[in-house]
Amino acid sequence: MPILRNITIKYKLILIIMLACITGLMLAGAAFISWEWNTFRSNIVRNVSTQAEMIAENCKAALAFQDAEDAKVTLNALHVEPSIIFGGIYTKDNKLFATYYRGYAETETHPDTLLDKGFNFDKGFLNVFEPIVLDGEVIGTVCLRSDLSPMYAMLKRNASVIIAVLFFSSFIAFLMSSLLQNVISGPILSLAKVAKAVSEKKDYSTRAVRQSNDEVGLLINSFNEMLEQIQQRDAELVDAKEKLEVRVEERTAELTTTNGQLTQEITERKNAEDQLRRAEEKYRTQFEGALDAIIVADAETGIIIDCNPAATRLVDREKSELIGKSHTILHPSERVKGEFSDTFSLHITEKRGQTLETQVITKTGKLRDVAIKATLLEFRGRKILQGIFRDITENKKAELRQVHLLEQLEKTNQELKDFAYIVSHDLKAPLRGIKTISEWITADYSDKLDEAGKEQLKLLASRVDRMHNLIDGILQYSRAGRVDEEKTVVDLNKTIIDIIDLIAPPENIKITVENELPTIECEKTRISQVLQNLLTNAIKYMDKPKGLIKIGCVEENGFWKFNVTDNGPGIEEKHFEKIFQLFQTLTPRDEFESTGIGLSIIKKIVEMYGGKIWVTSKVGDGCTFFFTLPTVPIAVDK
Amino acid sequence: MIILASVLLVAAIAPKAGAGATSSQEYQVKAAFLYNFLQFIGWPEDKSADNNQPLTIGIVGKDPFGDAFEPIKDKKVKDRNVITKHFESFEELKKSAEEGKTRKVEMLTKCHLLFICSSEQKNLKEILNLVKDQNVLTVGEMEGFLEAGGIINFLVVENKIRFEINTSAAEQAKLEIRSQLLRLAKRIVEGDKKTESSEKAGND
Repeated sequence: MPILRNITIKYKLILIIMLACITGLMLAGAAFISWEWNTFRSNIVRNVSTQAEMIAENCKAALAFQDAEDAKVTLNALHVEPSIIFGGIYTKDNKLFATYYRGYAETETHPDTLLDKGFNFDKGFLNVFEPIVLDGEVIGTVCLRSDLSPMYAMLKRNASVIIAVLFFSSFIAFLMSSLLQNVISGPILSLAKVAKAVSEKKDYSTRAVRQSNDEVGLLINSFNEMLEQIQQRDAELVDAKEKLEVRVEERTAELTTTNGQLTQEITERKNAEDQLRRAEEKYRTQFEGALDAIIVADAETGIIIDCNPAATRLVDREKSELIGKSHTILHPSERVKGEFSDTFSLHITEKRGQTLETQVITKTGKLRDVAIKATLLEFRGRKILQGIFRDITENKKAELRQVHLLEQLEKTNQELKDFAYIVSHDLKAPLRGIKTISEWITADYSDKLDEAGKEQLKLLASRVDRMHNLIDGILQYSRAGRVDEEKTVVDLNKTIIDIIDLIAPPENIKITVENELPTIECEKTRISQVLQNLLTNAIKYMDKPKGLIKIGCVEENGFWKFNVTDNGPGIEEKHFEKIFQLFQTLTPRDEFESTGIGLSIIKKIVEMYGGKIWVTSKVGDGCTFFFTLPTVPIAVDK
Repeated sequence: MIILASVLLVAAIAPKAGAGATSSQEYQVKAAFLYNFLQFIGWPEDKSADNNQPLTIGIVGKDPFGDAFEPIKDKKVKDRNVITKHFESFEELKKSAEEGKTRKVEMLTKCHLLFICSSEQKNLKEILNLVKDQNVLTVGEMEGFLEAGGIINFLVVENKIRFEINTSAAEQAKLEIRSQLLRLAKRIVEGDKKTESSEKAGND
């Protein structure tokens, strides 16, 4: 009812009253007409039925004696009733016996069906049937047909009167409701006017005037109270609004800060993602380009998940041949125990992260030595084992060769050492024999020999001595690499004093220690030999009336650098290398008794400790021998 | 004069009455009419005292009905059975009465309705005399029957069976004739006066 919603209360009231009036009048009219209709109908039925009964009674004999004329006479009495348009007497077997017509064509007026008794309505006509009974026996039927149009005409007239009354009443009702609605709508309208004014001007101090003591009066009272409350609330609201604005500003500021943080977070996350992606790409590049084979397998099932090109080369298989297969395809069958290979089992258990050596088998059945370093990773909730395989087949071979070579070398070396020792030792015995015999000859035959003979025998003895020294030197040299001695902590300051005492240098040569010498861990005999040989050499070749020999030591680059400086004849630069070679001397044999072995032994010892030895010199002014020893001693290979 | 006219009338009807199938149909109607007469006639109380006794239709003379009563013989009138009794010619009755056998004559007078066949025309007066005080409805089908003192006489008008009534004869026989029946009569004879009722009801 949208229309009802939009019209004013005034018209609503009028409309409601009118609707009620018209509905009531219409119902009353309808009831009246239907009641009248029923009355008319029952009246006419009763009327016609009476006529039919009369005729039935009167035409009994005529029917019994088949006197149609007489029956017709009886029927003709119907002409007093203008509404009856047809009367018929039917025999027992429903044949028309006598008829009466009024004004209509005969065929139209006959009833369609015959009843034994009673009535029916048929196309605006009423048919009444009455049996003709003679002595308890039905001998025929009377049918009367009555035209109902007079009745309809009467009904129509009545209806139009009622409608006229209805219109008139509605008009009166309209007038009255128009006048009386004001009683109800007046106060409401004035209230509405006030409400509108209030809402438009926002002036809550206005008040509506109460005009009556009914519900509308109550409504106006409530409205006024409400206005008062609103006035109060309004004030509160203004207050609250101000507070709210402050809060909104605060919140906005907070929000802006949060937003900034969020943006930063997003940027950071994005960076992290970028890094991750780059890391992944990097990993992928390394994975694909690695020289070592990399194979990734599920740690729980041992199924290969991924592998790189190096892996396919290692076992001569396509990538597709590996992925999805058990890792056991990689290993020769004797290394596979049950579901996992032994290496795999070790990698995922106690030897996690270690490098294990094993063998893999290629597609063609070739075995390859590999070192596998495996890492157990967690990838998307799945434990995976990433193994890096390095082909060490060639390394293994080289290693074997080296070991073999070393063994051979060591054997040869040993033989050589033994040989030198045995030779020098065995050569000494006949030499000693020759010397003894030459001494015997000198003693026994001094009187018989001339000066020249004695001189030659002397020469023989000196040559034998030289031979003896030579053999001793060789013996010493060979021993330098052989002597077994425990390393001890040696204070070189004490050692140097012992050595100088042992040498007992001549009066004209002075030996000084320039600064404090270190305490080192070494074989005492060997380091003493080095220092003794160098001092002995300096004294031996001293050509100055006042000899000066200085010993010093400095720490330099993890080494102790020792120097022994003399003011002797010096050495030409071209001999700097030569002097350290075996059996090399710079002066003729007869001038200085020298075997040419001493410096070779020093060099051998220094190098054994991982140090170096070299010489600097200016001819005529003397020379300086330098040698170094590591401050942290290295293990000497014996 | 009357007798002559009656004779003539009968002569006119007789050939029709004796005419095969039509006559049997005619007598079926007449038989039904006889039953109907019983409906519209009131007998004095002493004649119809005992309701258990059947109503009797007597037929005297040469019976023209044949088996025309067959279809209606079980029909009741005023809750009473109807029986038909056949009497020989009146001469035979007279003879037997003279011989002392009066029972048959007695029976004749006991009938409620007595149909006098055309064959008894010559004995008509005697028969009517015999029954005139016996409350018997006399029915005939001959010219001059009413004039002879009969109560109802069958006619054929326009091929339809009609009848005429002698009300004074009926009064004499103490029979009450219903007005409806009277209205249907083509002619009503009251005493010596004749009323042409057919004139007023005829072709209306």
